[in-house]
Amino acid sequence: MDLALRALGAMGALAVATVLTWLLEPRLLSSAAEKGVAAPVGVRDEKHLAQNPDTWMYSAGPILAVLGVVFAVVVIPWGDRLVPRDLGIGVFYFIVVLDFVVLGLSLGGWGANVRDSVDVYYRGVAQLVAYVVPLGLAYIGAIMMAGSLSTQRIVEAQAGMWFVVLQPIGFVLYLVTGLMQAYRPPFLEPFSAFIGGGVFGSSSGGRAIGWRIAMSATLFLVAAMGAVLYLGGWRGPVLPGPVWMLIKTYGLMMLMVWGGARFRLLTAGRMLELSWKILTPVGLANVLVVGALILLGVGPT
Amino acid sequence: MSVGAVAEWAAFVILAFIAVAGALGMATTMSMFRSGIFLMGSFIGVAGLFILLSADLLGLLQIMMYIGGMLVMILFMVLFSHDPGGSMMAGMEMSLVERLFSLGLSSGTAEMEHGDTGATGDMEAMGGAGGMAHEDMGDMGGMDGMDHGAAGDMAGMDHGDMDMSMTTPMKRYAAGLAVVVGAGLVALLVLRPAWPISSVTPDPESARVVGGLLMSKYMMAFESAGLLILVGIFGAVFLARPGRYPDQDARDEYVTADEPPPPIEEDAPPRGEGKKPAPAARSLSVLEAHVDEGDGD
Repeated sequence: MDLALRALGAMGALAVATVLTWLLEPRLLSSAAEKGVAAPVGVRDEKHLAQNPDTWMYSAGPILAVLGVVFAVVVIPWGDRLVPRDLGIGVFYFIVVLDFVVLGLSLGGWGANVRDSVDVYYRGVAQLVAYVVPLGLAYIGAIMMAGSLSTQRIVEAQAGMWFVVLQPIGFVLYLVTGLMQAYRPPFLEPFSAFIGGGVFGSSSGGRAIGWRIAMSATLFLVAAMGAVLYLGGWRGPVLPGPVWMLIKTYGLMMLMVWGGARFRLLTAGRMLELSWKILTPVGLANVLVVGALILLGVGPT
Repeated sequence: MSVGAVAEWAAFVILAFIAVAGALGMATTMSMFRSGIFLMGSFIGVAGLFILLSADLLGLLQIMMYIGGMLVMILFMVLFSHDPGGSMMAGMEMSLVERLFSLGLSSGTAEMEHGDTGATGDMEAMGGAGGMAHEDMGDMGGMDGMDHGAAGDMAGMDHGDMDMSMTTPMKRYAAGLAVVVGAGLVALLVLRPAWPISSVTPDPESARVVGGLLMSKYMMAFESAGLLILVGIFGAVFLARPGRYPDQDARDEYVTADEPPPPIEEDAPPRGEGKKPAPAARSLSVLEAHVDEGDGD
């Protein structure tokens, strides 16, 4: 009974947050050259498919992507003891299950068997390789200071001071890699107009809605995890926890999307270059700085 | 049995099915892409079994490694195989299992009449891969169509020169070997006298324990693995460095370097005069040559 209630609460939160993101994002991107994922979904469009789509993979794509975000919302904390499931390895679990979105993109893109759509797979994998290492490094700073992988513990460790104050480098790193993980500008290569909007160019109806839900929820989850890791999660004066969590999540989302739209779009090759030449060294430096801070006794004890 | 025990049992059955069916599908499907995805599914099923055994960190690590790793591996398979989508081979005579795991790839008997539709669809996919010449694909598709038209029974035919990666004469021996090994493992499982049952409750902070062990007891193994990976990265950087022939022009120059270069006199054909023009005056002499030609006409 308790389990069913928690599951229901998590799904309700995810649904509300996804709808909010869906409505909010096009407004944030109104000045952007290319909207990418946030472009309107053509549910009734006739989509050209090659003659031999791999129908099972084609349908499995959006299902897997939605499953990934549904699993990921389980560890997002909304208040004191108000978390669907406080896993001991919560943050790591979050990174892993969001990979199912990439897997879904690959299956859906390949299965459609249209040239542009198959490109989604190649470009998406390149983007995965680009962001996965710096993303882990962006998480590690917060994990080191909190001394735990549990999202609830990480929030509690920020009772005195938010980690964004102690680790500004890690926060910026998270903003960049989070945008990469969410396929938002300037990192929307797998959804760019150059390849006809990626999977959106080859799917309509339920599949298109599934993709849109998965991508909106991914942006929300990335922003929520950013709020948990660096902005103190649900902590805040006067207002109750869930409200603070929503405020911080959407504030961070606006910052990320608005900031990302200021930059020129990057190709996958450029992303890999950025990842290996800038983000990964910066992440390693951040780990060193955080380690030194911990040794000096700064931060939560 | 309590509800928890039933749920656990059901989860075991589902995950074990995913692991076994994934492995079977990997070996029998006609699509290289699906084959990789089935292998990934099999590993994810095993990871689910790990999680069921309270080794959640290990299970999640396995999922993370295999999603990323398999997607990259499939990418390379697609780049180097002739028919990664399997739409050519899916029209062939297939056994029941192969048919099952190739469902949705093509329309079975309808494929027989329209043998070339598979090739068209496949050309789309290959166009994305960019690794194949299109005429080549067209040729292969044509052969495919002809074969279907000529004979319904493909079992006895030799398609050695078509490089059908999934159809190999060794398949039955491999299957036999797999059955023998599997029977051996099950026999070990049954004949083993008693399994030790630990009453230790699993540690919810398993990540901390694993990390502590990696940094103390297994530090040598951990650090040597790190060194190995570092050397691997050095090797990759060394191989991928821009060498003496970084672009196509430089490579062409390298290839043609063995031929004797054309004598310089032929560049600017001197008319009448036996003197070789100086480099600075060369363009001028070319101009004059053109003027001469004009006069001649």
